[in-house]
Amino acid sequence: MDSRLRGNDERTMSAPRKFRLSTSRLTALFAAIFAAGIAILLTTVYILTARVLDHEVDVVIQAEVNGLIDDYRRGGVLQLVETLHRRADSWGRTGAVYLLVDAQGRRIAGNIAGWPEQIATSDAWIEFEIDASEHGGVVAHPVRAQIFKLPSGRSLLVGTDILERKQLASRLRSAMIWGTSLCLALAVPVTYFYSQRVRRRIAAVATTCESIMTGRLSERLPVEGSHDEFDELAKTVNGMLDRIEQQTSVLRTTFDSAAHDLRAPLYRARVRIEEALQHPDLASGSREVMDATLAELDRVQRTLGTLLQIAQADGSARELALQAVDLAELAREIVDLYQPEASERGLSLAFSGETHAIIRGNQQLLAQALVNLVENALKYVPASGRIDVAVETTSNEVNLTVADNGPGVPAAEREHILQPFVRLERDRTQTGSGLGLSLVAAVMRLHRGTVELSDNAPGLRVACRFQKG
Amino acid sequence: MSLLLIEDDLQAAEYLIKGLRESGYTIDHSADGRDGLARATQNRYDVIIADRQLPFMDGLAIIASLREKGDRTPVLILSALGTVDDRVHGLKVGGDDYLTKPFAFAELLARIEALSRRSASAAEATRLQVGDLEVDLLGRHVTRAGRNIDLTTKEFQLLEYLMRRPGQVITRTMLLEGVWNLHFDPQTNIIDVHMSRLRNAVDKGFPRPLIHTVRGAGYVLKESE
Repeated sequence: MDSRLRGNDERTMSAPRKFRLSTSRLTALFAAIFAAGIAILLTTVYILTARVLDHEVDVVIQAEVNGLIDDYRRGGVLQLVETLHRRADSWGRTGAVYLLVDAQGRRIAGNIAGWPEQIATSDAWIEFEIDASEHGGVVAHPVRAQIFKLPSGRSLLVGTDILERKQLASRLRSAMIWGTSLCLALAVPVTYFYSQRVRRRIAAVATTCESIMTGRLSERLPVEGSHDEFDELAKTVNGMLDRIEQQTSVLRTTFDSAAHDLRAPLYRARVRIEEALQHPDLASGSREVMDATLAELDRVQRTLGTLLQIAQADGSARELALQAVDLAELAREIVDLYQPEASERGLSLAFSGETHAIIRGNQQLLAQALVNLVENALKYVPASGRIDVAVETTSNEVNLTVADNGPGVPAAEREHILQPFVRLERDRTQTGSGLGLSLVAAVMRLHRGTVELSDNAPGLRVACRFQKG
Repeated sequence: MSLLLIEDDLQAAEYLIKGLRESGYTIDHSADGRDGLARATQNRYDVIIADRQLPFMDGLAIIASLREKGDRTPVLILSALGTVDDRVHGLKVGGDDYLTKPFAFAELLARIEALSRRSASAAEATRLQVGDLEVDLLGRHVTRAGRNIDLTTKEFQLLEYLMRRPGQVITRTMLLEGVWNLHFDPQTNIIDVHMSRLRNAVDKGFPRPLIHTVRGAGYVLKESE
């Protein structure tokens, strides 16, 4: 498994994109829920209203039928016909329709011309249309009616004009369609606006956090004063940041003064030993001891210097000027610098890849990181081994790899070894501070890139990925 | 050759003054920035060595103040900070060289020498000559006693750097800075390997070597007596 020290890029670069996706999804979802709710509401109203209206019609017709049946029972067909004659003008007033036919379907009485076509004379509820002349034109009126079979084979049809009810239902239907559409039309911009607002605030948080991660610890999340959950969250996070900033500043001051206060006595110790070495009557044994002490002092100084560099790369990215750096040229230069040393040791050290690869960075820190990687490889790769340095570019990345065929690093140790002062157990006897790779990791963090250690089968492969500059 | 040392660490200053006097320099000392600037303005020095962090006025402010007055005296900054951008910043305000504490005395001496001679040998030469070794900078052509010497690009740059400073002690870090533009302390003897290759090309087969090793310091290119 590859260990990977992640810069913040991968997440923060893709985050706004994701936000935008979820915004449109959220908008669509809210609009759909809203519209569906309205549609269900209006449909229910429509169905209930239609049912009530239909029921009312049916009750009226039923009552008419019952009245006419009563007439029939009391006075026979004659009584019935007479009642129908009396009500013949009802069409214009109440919209009621009557028709009595004999067993052959011939009209006996009623206010419509004849039995509706293709309708049986058996007991049933039916609907049909009557063409009525109105305002100089012919209008088809829908009619709902009940047919009642009289014992003599005659059939009685009682109905009522339901044009107005149909019109009401159709108005309800179009109200339903319009209402739902209007709701959708309203819901889309409103929910878009709200989700944009959410997105904007989340993006503001992300931008600030990104900036804080590059070392600008004094930045704070925006508080809009709307007293909503976002403000509450921002206040809490800002409180946390205050605390972190305070602690970091205490740590940095302590570290800086410790580093400075260590350098001064180191410097004096060096000066004194150098002074003592000038003595002509120095015993030859002492000279060797003092030379060795000087070398040790230099080692301590280097460790301190590296620690300062790591701290600087991690802590104060803002103060560090980043310029355009040609990583390919830098890598070539360093390979060129170490090439004679490598061949002295019987190793092959070679550069391959791009002629130019521009990134934004700090030339000296990048050089130091590269030197650390090459020196590391030189230290661990046995004679007749090879070290390959390569710089390759993709559409948006510049990849620097240093690969060797030495002993490599066990998979479980790969991430661990990027931390300061961590060394492999087998290398304990080797000289070194255990800071080389952690400086590389710090430099990569500063450049917002990633460093990845993997198996070169055999050997170690260190891949540093940068954003193209 | 007169120097001004502005350093508040008295113990270190004492040692540096002693060492520099022994090396033949006349030296004045100031223990704080204000006094240092006053001395630097009143007298003419060949090189000023200023600590970066000083009481009353720091080293960079002294340089800025001098440069404002049009004083171009070379200034070597000594610093205990030593992070990458400190150097860049120090050189940007007009410092001429930058040395991180602690340093070897030989390193300081070599750099003072380089700074004091810089104004003298800034001329744009096209040919350089030391003894029977000649370098044609335009044709990138090297001959010794009339014999052609083939060098790689880097070997040529190394030789040019040395040829421009004949008789001066050049330290390994100076070569790393001057030829490779890298400012770090190499943990291996990379420069020595390059120098031994250059020596092979330039000195091998000739009775009198021109490139000499200076123990504990670096190299010097000169005609041996």
